[in-house]
Amino acid sequence: MLWQIALYILLVVILFAAGFRLLRKHEKKNRQLQISKKLEPYLFIMPAFLLLLLAFGYPLVNSVLMSFQNYKLIEPGKVYFNNFANFKNLFSDRDIGLIMRNSFVYVIASVGMQFLLGLILSLALKKKFRGRGVYQAIVFLPWAFSAFVIGLMFRWSFNGEYGVVNDLLIKLGLITEKIAWLGTPGLSLLVVILAMIWMGVPFFAIMYLAALQSIPEDVYEAADIDGCGAVRRFFAITFPYIKPTVIMTLLLRTIWVFNSFDLIVVITGGGPANHSQTLPSYMYTRAFSGYDFGLASALGVVLMVILAVYAVIFLQVTKYNKAGDF
Amino acid sequence: MKKKLVALMLCVMMFIPLLPAGASGVQLRFIDVSPSPARQEYYEKTFAKFREETGISVAYESVPWDDAANKLTILGTSNQLPDVITTWAGWLGQFTAAGWVIPLADYIAGTEDQYTDTVTKLVWKGEKELYGNVYTVPDGMMVKGVFVRKDWAEEEGMDLDPKKGWTYSEYFDAVRKFTNPEKNRYGTSFRGARGAFDPLFVYLQTLTGGRAYADDGSALFNTPEAVAAYETWNGLYLDGNAPKDAINWGFIEMVDNFTGGLTGTLINDSEVAATCITSMKDEQWMVMPMPESDVDGKIYNTVNSPYAYSISASSKNPDAAWQLIEYLTRPDNNIEYCKLTGLIPIKKDVGDDPLYGPDGYYATFMQQLNDPRLVVPCAFGPFSYTDMHQGMMHEEIQKYLLGQQDAKTSLGLVAGELEKRMKQYLADNPGSAVEQPKSLSEE
Repeated sequence: MLWQIALYILLVVILFAAGFRLLRKHEKKNRQLQISKKLEPYLFIMPAFLLLLLAFGYPLVNSVLMSFQNYKLIEPGKVYFNNFANFKNLFSDRDIGLIMRNSFVYVIASVGMQFLLGLILSLALKKKFRGRGVYQAIVFLPWAFSAFVIGLMFRWSFNGEYGVVNDLLIKLGLITEKIAWLGTPGLSLLVVILAMIWMGVPFFAIMYLAALQSIPEDVYEAADIDGCGAVRRFFAITFPYIKPTVIMTLLLRTIWVFNSFDLIVVITGGGPANHSQTLPSYMYTRAFSGYDFGLASALGVVLMVILAVYAVIFLQVTKYNKAGDF
Repeated sequence: MKKKLVALMLCVMMFIPLLPAGASGVQLRFIDVSPSPARQEYYEKTFAKFREETGISVAYESVPWDDAANKLTILGTSNQLPDVITTWAGWLGQFTAAGWVIPLADYIAGTEDQYTDTVTKLVWKGEKELYGNVYTVPDGMMVKGVFVRKDWAEEEGMDLDPKKGWTYSEYFDAVRKFTNPEKNRYGTSFRGARGAFDPLFVYLQTLTGGRAYADDGSALFNTPEAVAAYETWNGLYLDGNAPKDAINWGFIEMVDNFTGGLTGTLINDSEVAATCITSMKDEQWMVMPMPESDVDGKIYNTVNSPYAYSISASSKNPDAAWQLIEYLTRPDNNIEYCKLTGLIPIKKDVGDDPLYGPDGYYATFMQQLNDPRLVVPCAFGPFSYTDMHQGMMHEEIQKYLLGQQDAKTSLGLVAGELEKRMKQYLADNPGSAVEQPKSLSEE
């Protein structure tokens, strides 16, 4: 433990030393004054930077270190480096393929639908109509609920025997036999995806509504004079204007959804037989049922790499830097 | 003046937490791992009485059962466990290995005869065998039974007599008879999620005389006969005698669906009786003993305490902590607690309460505890298996139920992992031996 802290402090010192060296390199004349001026912004951000280092930096470095260690909470005296053993165990897990696939299906389906429905909702709410405020408050409500409450709501609604969903489907004549939503592979993940969509649509709608309201009306008026149709208006004016918001919300929401596991734990517990398990929920299970923090950290590192690669590719592909330029 | 008064009051309030908690100056921390409003009320009331009598104050803490193992592990690792902790037998291997709880044999010495045989001959004997000392005092005793829909049995013309008992074959027949999806009735509250392997493990041990491992640590519950028994047990689900959702059922769903009228039988502990008493009519339910083995006619049944009191190694006042445990298990307090939680008292001089008599709700459980054919089969082992219990044990069953692997593979994977850990334990602990089944007739 002590050497980990020492290593961490050394890392921080190296970072600062590099910063100062960079500063010194560029300063020759009026050295004293110049250095003070150059240092000024760094001194201002120093408290926040130190807090960030403490709150995020240390756990991050520590979790990367732990991913290369035999670190079981129930064996506190047996912590040692085991090279890539945790990663080897992780990728030799019989269910890791299924869990990876679940993770991607879960993220793509839920973020995709949240985006689509959120966009439609925001376009619908852009126009003023009677009772818009009340309607807006109702549709934005799911965002205010805790994931635990939403999880319980969906768990009971989709209960195979007593759930309201089966009851409605039978009454509507759409099914003749009860469906075991939570006990059937595929369907259990679908229920979690539906819950996530229901919870996340308001976020997209709120963000897009704000972006839509910032588009100048005269641009639309000019388009109307030019005889522009609704579809053309959307793709030529509306979408380019809200593109930076779209990119940012998609990026953030994908990362949030990918990292979330609360709904899964509450609704299905990852079951049956890991068919609704995703990487973060699996990480949670391994960390807090097996107390194997080494393996859980290895999973965390894999998650981090996937998300970092995704963020870089996404920002490149969507040309975020140029978004919003007209 | 007003300002000075307010300042003075604030100063006094700041210093209040620093004052000694009781006249004796000792303040204990107690953690409950299965909290409910009723339990909390009981404990807080009892702690208030304890403080009046001894001057020792006790702070009540709790953690929901689902998070309890995590929280206690984290507290144990950081040396911050409360003085008295409610533990579960399944954690004891981990807790004793990590040195988080202290031995209690010296405290108990001379008072053993106050406790029932189930405590001394089963629980404490088992702990001595596995961990070399006594580490817990049970909060109450629990034995399993088969909760049955009495009204359904009468409708089907079945003659179920708890005194006569039944075999596993008769039990399986009853489950099949109760199943009638058109009436929205299923034969059994099948457990497919966490804990699914527990009752199945006991059933498999009816084939092995209650043993789990050979002397060298090899698993005995992985034979072709055991695989066939595994198929029979899980066949109850596969043949439609339980709702399809049951693949994801844990304790709560099993009990809810029995008391709610969806299932006809439920294998569970005596604690469920408290729920049945409050949510079902007397003519709707009854308790049958656990079925007899089809092989040797013995009743293999787990007898344990749901939770037990232990003193943490980080306690600065272990003597005061023991005083608290003694107080909690004093006959009058223990029987009040047992009635609240559906347990059987641990002290001999409360055994004549009508609730536990031949006409009481707990009659079948008491009858099993006095049955000379009762054998307590072996547990999974003295090693830590929490990760398996919360993962592969039920996941492998689920994979079999979903048709993703055959019974031999499914059982073989769990048996193989348990065998590996048992052998490792024997290798790491020279002189240790595998657990043997126990009965009350043994000395």
